Amino acid sequence: MGKIKRISGCVAAAQAVRLADVDVISSYPIRPYTGIMSELARMIADGELDAELVYAEGEHAQLSVVYGASAAGARAYTGSSGVGVTYAMEVYSPLSGERLPVQMAIGDRTLDPPGDFGSEHTDAECCRDQGWIQGWASTQQEVLDMALIYYRVGEDPRVMLPQYACQDGYYVTHILGTVDIPDEAQVKEFLPPYKNHHVLDPKHPQIIGAQIEPEQGPPMQYQRRMAIDNINPVLIQAYDEFGKIFGRKYDPFLEEYMTEDADIVMFGQGAHMETAKAVAKRLRNLGEKVGVVRLRAFRPFPYEEIAKRMSKYKAIGVLDNSAQFGISGGAGVLLTELRTALYDVGDKVKTVGFVAGLGGEVVTHEEFLRMYKKLEDIVKTGKVEKTRYWVPFEL
Amino acid sequence: MSEYEKITSVKNAPDKEYYMPGHRTCAGCGPALSYRLVAKAAGPNTIFIGPTGCMYVANTSYSCGPWAVPWIHAQITNGGAVASGIETAYKTMIRKGKYKGEQPNVVVMAGDGGSVDIGLQALSAMLYRGHKVLFICYDNESYANTGIQTSPTTPYGAWTTFTPAGPVIPEGKKLFPKDNPKLVAHGHPALKYVATASIGYPVDLMNKVRKGLSMEGPAYLQIHATCPKGWQFPADQTIKMAKLAVQTGMYQLYEYENGEYKLSLNIKERKPVYEYMKLQGRFSHLKPEHFEKTQAFIDGRCAEVGISVPVTTES
Repeated sequence: MGKIKRISGCVAAAQAVRLADVDVISSYPIRPYTGIMSELARMIADGELDAELVYAEGEHAQLSVVYGASAAGARAYTGSSGVGVTYAMEVYSPLSGERLPVQMAIGDRTLDPPGDFGSEHTDAECCRDQGWIQGWASTQQEVLDMALIYYRVGEDPRVMLPQYACQDGYYVTHILGTVDIPDEAQVKEFLPPYKNHHVLDPKHPQIIGAQIEPEQGPPMQYQRRMAIDNINPVLIQAYDEFGKIFGRKYDPFLEEYMTEDADIVMFGQGAHMETAKAVAKRLRNLGEKVGVVRLRAFRPFPYEEIAKRMSKYKAIGVLDNSAQFGISGGAGVLLTELRTALYDVGDKVKTVGFVAGLGGEVVTHEEFLRMYKKLEDIVKTGKVEKTRYWVPFEL
Repeated sequence: MSEYEKITSVKNAPDKEYYMPGHRTCAGCGPALSYRLVAKAAGPNTIFIGPTGCMYVANTSYSCGPWAVPWIHAQITNGGAVASGIETAYKTMIRKGKYKGEQPNVVVMAGDGGSVDIGLQALSAMLYRGHKVLFICYDNESYANTGIQTSPTTPYGAWTTFTPAGPVIPEGKKLFPKDNPKLVAHGHPALKYVATASIGYPVDLMNKVRKGLSMEGPAYLQIHATCPKGWQFPADQTIKMAKLAVQTGMYQLYEYENGEYKLSLNIKERKPVYEYMKLQGRFSHLKPEHFEKTQAFIDGRCAEVGISVPVTTES
């Protein structure tokens, strides 16, 4: 069985990389994800991990190094934060398009300006539609578990797609949490060795990434689309087996907290939803029928699950910890996508967007209470005064 | 440096081809010929990385390619980084027992844009980190696959669609070209070998490929690869033009090893650069003063690597 330790999100991610027996890692420093690479460098220096750490000259090169490594048949890992995530943008589509299942940790950080170090989901959400699997962990334990699950799902022959394993900067990357670090035998049982049948090997020459003409592009795009659209059975199976082997059970799509008879829920992803849970508990003690639905899988977006499971609420508040300027709905991408998922329900479920925690600010209990209050007013009066708020400026 | 098997003549070069017919390069394409020679010299245990450029677009149209060895596309930006990943992967997998076989030759074939311009950062970092990779720049002195635009290796005075000659800018391209072999040679302590080659001298070219691959670390080879379409000369003069470039000193053939330049040819005299430039449409707008400026620039470049023979006066 595993060891229980108090570790940060960065160290938890590094532990997953060690357990996954990753071969090639590419690094470049940018806060707050840097600690993952520092920990991996330490593990290599101390002989705990047999892998090569390539000091890339930037994030673009980080992604390019793992592109080459994965195409050569190695399990590969990288990561970044903030503007580093966007600097690498060119390489995301080639990685998913060539079906190279590398993993990238993202420790969230604002984009520039303002150049502060604070956590915001904006960086990772910028690259959301590149054909990668993507989701947020909200605890250090989940960081470790998700990294292993993502490798397994991404490398599944039915999938073969890269993965962004996201965690909030500081709230998860730097704060210590209690983590059950599994032993290697358990991980071996769960995660088979990486095997890609389309690798660069002089014994079996193949051409990877040949240029194609316009009429050949759409079928390839369609294959990539089908791979990501048909991922759910693989995801469900992986989470199911993970639960059996490690004893920790996760809903692959939505974590529900106090939702059973709820009229109102707060919807969002990442560490701020842990605060939302604490506030929901406070309100429950006061007799309010409120709960939390934490999104665990952002790409592919589980719109069918959401339609099935969230149409029953009277009002949903959507927390977007990101700045998407000019987006439809006027808040963030989660509001837009949730509304699309609930389109067929019509006006029955009222939805309100809250952009909060920008610049890495704590979304406080008081702020969550004000958000819940707005939702309660809607339920009471049946009237929606305003559908979007930038917190704290407008609420 | 470990040993490598020298090729003594074109006739004695291996028959076996790893860059096969069937691609869609232009008639008289210099880069395609360079690819054939590189692949022949490197042999079967080789992986090619092809950053975007002519040798990606013209070779792999319609999902097929001419290679009998593995090839992977890289972005025009990142040939050095993708090669680093492949080399590191094999090194690690062999060490960990995940791959049974020998470390393959890892060869990047990048154009001048993918080596000297947008790809320079990835190239430099790869050389700095000491990956055992042969990075080859096939230098056709322009962004040719996009329809001939200036690159840092485009010569002074050359027409391109970004450097047209006109009354205000009579010489077309106003800048002198970047010297990438020298740029990389002097700042990368892990770099083992730098050389220049030309498709006009195929035996020398193939041996430089083999020598570069025999190094226990990174090597950089820049190959002058003439381009009939971009430079505007008849397709049957590809080799003649390549030889003239060397004979005039427009392209200098040398090796740089252990801190020293070693000339690859024993040139007795240099022809004037005008003899080379007058045959190419890209220079047809130039006036005598522009040829003089080029001659002075080339005299300087030749002196830097130790080509001290005089320029003949006949023209």
